[in-house]
Amino acid sequence: MLSNAEHSAAKNFWYTAIGWLLISMLAGLVVAFKQVWPEFMGGSEYLTYGRVRPIHTNGVLLAWLSMVNVGCMFYIVPKLLRTKLWSEKLGNFTCVLWNLGITAGVVILATGYSTGVEYAELPLWLDILVAVLAILVAVNVFMTIKNRKEQQLYVSIWYFVGSLIWLPGVWIVGNVPAPLVGGAIQANMNWFYGHNVLGLWFTTVGIGTMYYLLPKLTGKPIYSHKLSLIGFWTIGTFYVWNGPHHLVNSPIPFWLQKAGIIPSILLIIPVWTVLANVIGTMKGQWHQVRDNVNLKFLMTAMIFYLMACLQGPFQALMSVSAVIKYTHWVPGHAHMAPFGAFSFIGFIMIYFAVPRISGKEIYSKVAQNWHYYLSVVGFLVFAFSMWIAGVMQGFAWMDGLPFMETVNMTRPFVAVRAVGGTLMIVAQFFFAWNIFMTLKAGRHYEVDKSELVSA
Amino acid sequence: MDMEKSALGIFIAALVLFMMGTFATIILPFYDDEMMATNKNSEARAYADGSAEASGREIYIREGCNTCHTQVVRPVKADLAMNIGPVTVPADYQNDSPHLWGSNRTGPDLMWVGARTSAEWNLEHLKDPQKVVDGSIMPSYDYLSETDLNDLVAYLMSLKPAQ
Repeated sequence: MLSNAEHSAAKNFWYTAIGWLLISMLAGLVVAFKQVWPEFMGGSEYLTYGRVRPIHTNGVLLAWLSMVNVGCMFYIVPKLLRTKLWSEKLGNFTCVLWNLGITAGVVILATGYSTGVEYAELPLWLDILVAVLAILVAVNVFMTIKNRKEQQLYVSIWYFVGSLIWLPGVWIVGNVPAPLVGGAIQANMNWFYGHNVLGLWFTTVGIGTMYYLLPKLTGKPIYSHKLSLIGFWTIGTFYVWNGPHHLVNSPIPFWLQKAGIIPSILLIIPVWTVLANVIGTMKGQWHQVRDNVNLKFLMTAMIFYLMACLQGPFQALMSVSAVIKYTHWVPGHAHMAPFGAFSFIGFIMIYFAVPRISGKEIYSKVAQNWHYYLSVVGFLVFAFSMWIAGVMQGFAWMDGLPFMETVNMTRPFVAVRAVGGTLMIVAQFFFAWNIFMTLKAGRHYEVDKSELVSA
Repeated sequence: MDMEKSALGIFIAALVLFMMGTFATIILPFYDDEMMATNKNSEARAYADGSAEASGREIYIREGCNTCHTQVVRPVKADLAMNIGPVTVPADYQNDSPHLWGSNRTGPDLMWVGARTSAEWNLEHLKDPQKVVDGSIMPSYDYLSETDLNDLVAYLMSLKPAQ
């Protein structure tokens, strides 16, 4: 069961992650429908809105995206360092334990044993399990780095090393048991976690993966190595400060709000270094985007990454936050980086690596295109309906309209959001089917020229 | 030290940068008097173990009420115009463990809901939201036991400014 075959751990992380992607996105869709028809799947305590929603968020973040990230590190680190993963067996064991942990998490959330802390709903014993899993991954990656044959550390490795140090720290701060902290202090720790798990885990592993994929997909080395390092150090410096910007205008001291707002604006620096590097690398190569679905995904992910990171500091401003905070705008924004940017990078990585691991060509280019277009269109429908509804709601609240009137005016947009969400999830079925068919019936795959270009 | 060849260098620098931000935004607030203060509101929310209010709060968490309802009143135009009660300060929450601030107002804020609704109204509303509020998108909690419903109502009614 615990294979020692090369890349088997990465593969198992990815394949099971795809299963969790479908499950947790379906949970999201159930929640979206419930906002249109409150009695949808009602009558059962296990499927009530307040219990399904944490299954959606924890499933997408801790199962799908985190497992994709681990797969990326287990695949890319050995490739870049020309060294086998320290222990495929340990990697596969981590994967089994991870899947068991998430399964337990779903059962626990459905039965209502939630801590009540947003994004950190899992009970203490599962928190500890996740911490152990993160450490097992870190040990495997760090030992691979220690035993490496290639001395030069490409920027992706920097991002992975940083992420593996930051994740346990962020996780511990966010999951300190409520009886020990509580109150405004805990709200502040909650958002330190809620923000930094995105910025110092999903973003940094995602960008590290992107820096691996970009030269492979285009056949061109990255535009500027130095720029990528500036991006790494600035994200490492500024990101961790951002938690309090989620609590702008909230009951926390003013100095603490400012300590979160100012670094949010400085985050434009690391974002821009990434974008400049992508654009620089793509110079003279844009024609490739036309025929390469993976590059389409990558460019779109970078556009969404930029948009998310322009919206972020904008929303952190006190005047803007006063209008849009607590409205539908927030889920519109909150889905952009995890779905539009980093899930997309996960898709590309899987499409890229599966043929190289299995020796089978991706089964259907048509399905891959459907995956791309439905994901993008679905997300745009989802996001714009939420953004418009949020702004309407924000100004209506300022006018002092009765609450139900503001619910009624956003009703059509909430329905459109469910349509967008449906497209987003239909897209993922094309993805899962395509990967399944690739393994079952894909044609023989020959290593192409991109393998010859060094990262 | 050549950073591009030293994983340990990256490791240490990344750790130091992380500790700086964590110290400033997580550790320092513990030394801020405003953050650590208590007041009458937080004392009123220190529910005795086994009380109906304490059990009601557990049910509030169990059913995920905080996924749709905030418990924060900000000094901003929207919150003042919505007339949802006094602006809240950190001291109000000293005995909230876990905190229940929430991040989305799919439904109205509940920080001071006990001051503007009655126990009867809340009970009816939890059992059949659409009957009480036309067009509401809140799910029905008619699957809760009579005791659970009463405890939850007791908790909601306790959410009001202390005298």
